[in-house]
Amino acid sequence: MSGTESVAFDTPQRERRGDNFAMWVFIASEAMLFGAIFLVFLVAHIDFGRAFAGASKHLSLPLGTFNTVLLITSSFTMALAHMLALQRRWRATVWALLATSALGVCFLVVKGIEYGKEIQEGLAPLLGLPFRYSGPDPVHAEFFFGLYFAMTSLHALHLIGGIVVITGMIALWRTANPASRLGRVVAVGLYWHFVDIIWVFMFPVLYLINR
Amino acid sequence: MSTEALRPSSYLGEGAGPAAWLLTTDHKRVAWLYLVSLTAFFFLGGAFAVLMRVELATPAGDLVSDDTYNRLFSLHGIIMVWFFLVPSIPATLGNFLLPLMIGARDLAFPRLNLASWYVFILGSAFALASVLAGGVDTGWTFYTPLSTLYANGFVSMAALGVFIVGFSTIMTGINFIVTIHTLRAPGLTWFRLPIFVWTMYATALVMVLATPVLAASLILIVLERLFGIGIFNPALGGDPLLFQHLFWFYSHPAVYIMILPGMGVVSEVLPCFSRRPLFGYKAVALSSMAIAVFGFLVWGHHMFVSGQSAYAGVLFSFLSFCVAIPSAIKVFNWSLTLRKGEITFETPMLYALFFLALFTFGGLAGLFLAALAIDVHVHDTYFVVAHFHYIMVGGMVTAYMAGLHFWWPKLTGRMYSETWGRIAATVTFLGFNLTFFPQFVLGFLGMPRRYHTYPPEFQFWHILSSAGAVVLAVGYLMPLLYLGWSLFRGARAPANPWRATGLEWQTASPPPPHNFETMPVVTRPAYAYDMKGLKHERFSPHREEAAQ
Amino acid sequence: MSELRKLTFGYLGLLALLALTVGSSLLDLAGFNVTLNLAIAAAKAILISLLFMHLTGTLPRLAVAATGLWLVILFGLTLIGR
Repeated sequence: MSGTESVAFDTPQRERRGDNFAMWVFIASEAMLFGAIFLVFLVAHIDFGRAFAGASKHLSLPLGTFNTVLLITSSFTMALAHMLALQRRWRATVWALLATSALGVCFLVVKGIEYGKEIQEGLAPLLGLPFRYSGPDPVHAEFFFGLYFAMTSLHALHLIGGIVVITGMIALWRTANPASRLGRVVAVGLYWHFVDIIWVFMFPVLYLINR
Repeated sequence: MSTEALRPSSYLGEGAGPAAWLLTTDHKRVAWLYLVSLTAFFFLGGAFAVLMRVELATPAGDLVSDDTYNRLFSLHGIIMVWFFLVPSIPATLGNFLLPLMIGARDLAFPRLNLASWYVFILGSAFALASVLAGGVDTGWTFYTPLSTLYANGFVSMAALGVFIVGFSTIMTGINFIVTIHTLRAPGLTWFRLPIFVWTMYATALVMVLATPVLAASLILIVLERLFGIGIFNPALGGDPLLFQHLFWFYSHPAVYIMILPGMGVVSEVLPCFSRRPLFGYKAVALSSMAIAVFGFLVWGHHMFVSGQSAYAGVLFSFLSFCVAIPSAIKVFNWSLTLRKGEITFETPMLYALFFLALFTFGGLAGLFLAALAIDVHVHDTYFVVAHFHYIMVGGMVTAYMAGLHFWWPKLTGRMYSETWGRIAATVTFLGFNLTFFPQFVLGFLGMPRRYHTYPPEFQFWHILSSAGAVVLAVGYLMPLLYLGWSLFRGARAPANPWRATGLEWQTASPPPPHNFETMPVVTRPAYAYDMKGLKHERFSPHREEAAQ
Repeated sequence: MSELRKLTFGYLGLLALLALTVGSSLLDLAGFNVTLNLAIAAAKAILISLLFMHLTGTLPRLAVAATGLWLVILFGLTLIGR
């Protein structure tokens, strides 16, 4: 009746304020999840810094850097989508969203290539795969790679979630009224940028530290 | 019959088929979905407890094997903590009352609210599957390396169930926080909110910020079990103590998820039945927030004997004493609310007074445990078991029963039998103390927890405790019967049977679909029982009916 | 137009910070590498949250502040306990 999605709000403006706050609270919650995982890594890094530094050198810095560029660019296109939606340029908004999710897919492909390379080199201590490592302290290097796969795949899962939501949003685009289109772009945008921020921390922590 | 026609349409009249309930987004109906599922889990978890108490009636392990016993107490803990206590008051009474108390039409995100129940059901499917497959024997704490290297139960499945239920908790938390911030009625400032709303806010804060850390630690356990990443395995470089840090970073604050809502209920009931405004309103409100924050600073007291540094032990001991301050502030303020009150002993009031006694007693026992030297003596004994059951069962479940009776007329539009209510409350109180007081003695004498056999000299206390468990079970089964009966045969409830002040009492019982016929405006503080016209009012459903 | 310019500056700034962090990791800064890398990551996070996520208004800031405080508690008390 008043153009809100939830019966609880009386105006779309108040609803948008509520949606926005809800996304930030959700991000707070997600930040605690990744915070705990980073804490596990930090504790291990304090204990076995040298072995971790050695193991870190076996990751591909060029691919990691390239992926960071991809993800930063996708955040930029997502921010553009938000700007275009505010200006009610809906066709351009959809293109920006498509570009965002395409860049996300590219990130996943590059990550897959990286995983494949590491599995071939025998650096993936998962699912009974053999672990071959020539550097010093192979036990703790193996630990590093275990954490590397755990952290990056958790991040990748979040990215996949974002891509799925964007795709679904575009699929439902025609049925949504302008207010809910804008609301959805803002919400998924906040999530996408947050996943980007996680990578912004994960990249130096895994690839760069004590290189 | 004429009252039937005059009665405004209620949320219960909006369709009765399964689809009308299972696809509802009305917070009042979602509350019922939770209420029914949580009641089932409460009695399932209770059945495990009764089996344990029967086994412990004799020193020998004659009813169940040691392995079965391990699974019994693990499943009792897992089900009671995550499938009953954590969602208990927030997801049922909180869900139902929060929008009513702040004068809103619904929670901020009604579909998210329904989704949270489905996620809860999905998680509980995993938990029940692990029960049927043979159970878990790690204890509810999933301690590593037991859970990752040695346990042969269905740990991953149970952990996954708890992980999924965590999402449902976070959804509820986000919904509550946004609702309280954005949907308060005109004039309803923060310091006019009922304390129940304050405690829901504090609870939601803990839910949102602590649950993800539990999720992280459960993910890591599953990764370690399924993929062999040695995160908590010292042989591979991992740190088993780190699991305890992550687990208790969640689980100690989760203890406050499990008690803060109970404090909220009692803060509503005590003023109503002593016809006095809540003493020290601001102190009680802010102490709820203080508990939510301080609750995050004390988790190390679970690890006094786990090999953390001595300095950390001293610090955590000190911080644990500090968290007793806001709890004590509440207890004193509740007591002073009763002072010079015109107290009557209806069922909710009985439960609330029992809460006050049991929570104070259990809380004081907590101070013993916060003291480093005493904790080393009674660590992992029945003293600890008795302490947290005084808080969780004596505190939270008692408050849950107080709230359920207090708002039952609002939930159902029916009155329950006051006589049976008072009998059940008294039986519960006696049964509870008979069950758990002997456990303090047992623990102090050195009886360790989690054993299915024990030396014969402990049998006297164990028999007392087991007998108490039977009384307690009767006390909890009685409300199931008379509340169930009242659903169909209870007298019709008036809008405000207790002459209480909250906004939820200013709409019909049961409330209409969007809660209020006209949206309320608030002009006075909460608990204005000293106002003219309310001061000497008494509970009397019959007079209300006569007036109609 | 100024919104577009703001976003573009943010984007270029992020790329510059990325170049800086990768470049610094190739040099040996005698122990300051970690600090520098994390400081740059924090700078990037601030850029993203202010320019892309429009972190304004009391309530979102409250959520971010709470997250910061709780992460400090989690990290601080865990590391003290070791």
